[in-house]
Amino acid sequence: MDRRTMLKGGLALSGVLAMPAYLRAQSAKKLSILTWNIADQEAYFNEVFADFKKSNPGVEIEWLDKKGPEVPVFYQTQLVAGTPPDIINTQGALWVEYAANGALMDITSMLKGNAEVAKRFNADYLANWTLDGKNFMLPFYITKTLLFYNKNLFKEAGITAPPTTFAGIMDAADKIAKGERTGLLTLNFDWLYWPFFKSEGVDLLTPDGKKAAFNTPKAAEVLARLAKGTDSGAINKTSWTGRWVEPNGAFAAGTVGMHHAHSPAFFFMKGQGPWINADTLGVAQGPGGWSTPNSHGLGISKGSKNPELAFALLAHMTSDRWTQEFTKRRNVLTGNTASDQASLARLRGEEPLTAAVLQTQLENTDKMTGNWPLPFDAALKDAFYPELQNAVLGRKDAKTALNDAERQVNRLLSRRA
Amino acid sequence: MTALAAAVDAPQARPRLFARKRVRQAVLIWCFLLPSLLIFGLYRIMPLAWNVVLSFQEWSPTRPATWAGLYHYEEMFFYDEVFWTALWNTLLYIGSAPIGIAIALGLALLVNSDIRGRDVYRTIIFISYPLMTVAVGVIWRWMFDERVGLINYVARSLNLVDSPIPFLNSFDWALPSIIAANIWQMLGFYMIILLTGLQNIPQNLYEAASIDGADARRRFWRITVPLLKPSLFLCFVIGMLNSFTSFDLVYVMTGGGPGRATELLVTYVYKLGFVQTKFDYAAAVTVVFFALLIAIAWAANRLSGGNAGAVESD
Amino acid sequence: MTRARHHLPIHLVLILVSLVMLVPFYWVMKTSVSGENIFNYPPNIVPRDPHPFFYVDVWYYIPFARYFLNSVIVSAITVAGNVVFNAMAGYALTRGFMGKGVVLMLFLSCMMVPFQATIIPAYLITGRLGLLDSYLGLALPQMSTIVCIFVFKASFDAVPRSLIDAAKIDGLSEWRIVWRIMMPLAKAAIATNVILAFIWSWNNFLWPLIVTRSPDMQTLPLGLARFLAYQEDTTGALYAFCIMVLAPGILLFLLAQKEFIQGLTSGATKG
Repeated sequence: MDRRTMLKGGLALSGVLAMPAYLRAQSAKKLSILTWNIADQEAYFNEVFADFKKSNPGVEIEWLDKKGPEVPVFYQTQLVAGTPPDIINTQGALWVEYAANGALMDITSMLKGNAEVAKRFNADYLANWTLDGKNFMLPFYITKTLLFYNKNLFKEAGITAPPTTFAGIMDAADKIAKGERTGLLTLNFDWLYWPFFKSEGVDLLTPDGKKAAFNTPKAAEVLARLAKGTDSGAINKTSWTGRWVEPNGAFAAGTVGMHHAHSPAFFFMKGQGPWINADTLGVAQGPGGWSTPNSHGLGISKGSKNPELAFALLAHMTSDRWTQEFTKRRNVLTGNTASDQASLARLRGEEPLTAAVLQTQLENTDKMTGNWPLPFDAALKDAFYPELQNAVLGRKDAKTALNDAERQVNRLLSRRA
Repeated sequence: MTALAAAVDAPQARPRLFARKRVRQAVLIWCFLLPSLLIFGLYRIMPLAWNVVLSFQEWSPTRPATWAGLYHYEEMFFYDEVFWTALWNTLLYIGSAPIGIAIALGLALLVNSDIRGRDVYRTIIFISYPLMTVAVGVIWRWMFDERVGLINYVARSLNLVDSPIPFLNSFDWALPSIIAANIWQMLGFYMIILLTGLQNIPQNLYEAASIDGADARRRFWRITVPLLKPSLFLCFVIGMLNSFTSFDLVYVMTGGGPGRATELLVTYVYKLGFVQTKFDYAAAVTVVFFALLIAIAWAANRLSGGNAGAVESD
Repeated sequence: MTRARHHLPIHLVLILVSLVMLVPFYWVMKTSVSGENIFNYPPNIVPRDPHPFFYVDVWYYIPFARYFLNSVIVSAITVAGNVVFNAMAGYALTRGFMGKGVVLMLFLSCMMVPFQATIIPAYLITGRLGLLDSYLGLALPQMSTIVCIFVFKASFDAVPRSLIDAAKIDGLSEWRIVWRIMMPLAKAAIATNVILAFIWSWNNFLWPLIVTRSPDMQTLPLGLARFLAYQEDTTGALYAFCIMVLAPGILLFLLAQKEFIQGLTSGATKG
């Protein structure tokens, strides 16, 4: 094969391979939606979209799903390139970063114009997605933290009722911890541990959000107690890794007394822990009734070419019918009040334990914390959490850790304000 | 033309011919370099330039850029404790590369010798490298687990320790644990590079040396090591690059924790960019990281005799 | 025999090392057939109720065949590009020319740019080239790697000057010299290049994540996300997936090993 033929062949080959498999449709009615780690619900999405297309013929919907840590990478690259998906699904407080940076569309007026859509939702949960009085997202599915406990271990330790205060939880943890057993696990990403502090009256920031407010003697007490518990084995160290799979797996192994997590943890643990059933697993509210929400919302990108159509799809997905369908597939509540009530009623008959878990998600919705509408929430977490880890893992004492955290948080606030 | 005329023309013809040939050779060499240079230009140099420019600006994906001068550098060097911790951790990570290389060299020598079943050994040692780094992270995270991990299980079964060792939760042991997992994965790779290098050493040199009475140690230090310099240099550079190609490993095993004990510059850059949306600051950290790597590579190059360690052929 | 006695300690060391290398693998394999909760303590050495259905799960949870095909195509392009471009560049670096030092330094410094810092510009550039969501776009950033250029350079450096001079006297062009003389002598370097380029391309995760959009173009590592699920326990399938992704790399290594052996023997007889 001589040089020339090779070159020609090479060029032809490159031409073929360079053709994008994804040819952007010229139709103006194309919607793309990016969801967060929900690839297993492909069937559900196919149905919802098919139904939407029936009432909106000629629309194409492109569904993209990425795992949690990859959504920001993917979305922000698309933002820079100017091709963001029309609809984006976020978890927790990530949306604030995008809203504050102008990446999300303000849907307040759209909501006002669609009163029946706005009325559907639990007001406290909907308020989770407001910034400066403007709405940016609709609830997709809602979760918040609760306290799971292992009834067998409780019985063995002689504890009759689930504790309701931070001190009560710590005491129970101490009683249960023995040998391979530990008393308490807690999830730690996204401020999920904050109810421990809030229930003891500690606030993260001043009401105007300009300065750190957590460096108080009470906070030092809480932190010191957490550190002592971790050291003695009352608190399982996996709590402080900031992960999802490991703590749930550890609780599912049956050797931990309590797990402070949000409701999806239940479904993960059920899979890994065959011992879990209504007699062995108890559910209770978090300390002082406080909880941190970690809900999923749906919003519209500012760069969307079809905002009205996108909103129509959102309205469609959050309708009574489809939210009920979603709860059937995924056993989470959706924030659509009517549909949630119906789903709970159904579950109480079919799966009482699931119903009990989900019931907690609708209680005490006025006592939600750990969800600060600050554009630099991620940086704030990064400034605070490592110091917390330093303290609970015994590297620094509580007072020093809080001082250092305060210094870093204040610096962040002054630079970013 | 007659031979006479050709002979008369010849003296003038030679210099022209010579120059053309030289130019043709140079052009050809540059043509050989072109495809690679093009790819690097597009995907390494231009992005680097993007980072350099961005590091002097304030920018977010939805807002236009404004000039910020040394704002980010000032923040980084004077106020950012995380940067310094990440820098230190990165240096430690890079400094651990020679350990892996030394082990791999030992293995390469053993596998290179005339024993039976060396193909099997070679395969077994290499088998960890093609594994996805995420998978390596997942499995080693479990192995190091304080309560249920294999290492603690073995240590306690053999009564080597009284209480479990918190590897990944310990501020002191987290980074060494990640380094150990990294070495585990890289051994096969270093070994392959070193094996390739070992083959390039002519056998007769060893034969001549042993005839001259040099023992194994002498032969190793006088022949093997100097002639392996290119390969050793390559391995070190790769080990250095591990400080960012191990991104997945760190992210999966500890996420940078506990505290900041395993935060590397590369994970910090990623978090700044994609978690905190501070691309401009991330660009500044990238520039500093890049400069650091260049400095270390340059030092390593000098130590191994320049010219990327290649021994000059006579 | 003295030879066997001399080799016993070597075998012992290598066996120990092999164990260390294999134990994590054993665990991955074990969990891939039993799907046990890895947080059970004490850990089970032998899998309980092993069954191969996790491997079936992998096939069905993700469009495995399609992802596999995409990975194969992209890796094939990458490997081909690597061998050709790297050999060319490696050869050029063995010659002296003006600006060689600069080029050398340039190559070295190109290695020092972490990919995480280049995601956005790389995406924009690929977009400009019109290669988003395409096989060539997936392969392009990795179609030449500096490490392999240096591997070729080292191999070419070791070719005796006399051979090249003889070829020059015979009137062979540079191109021919590379292909007819240097490459056959650099079999080990080629094998190394093929194995490494394949592994890097096959396992590449972050770039395909960014540059592909349609589900048809996704490569195998992107399927990983499906097994790190939020609400289900997919441990067994996750580990089965890891094994399935690993298999082609190992296979390729086993196949390319023959070149290694040839390279070893040729090294021994080289004058």
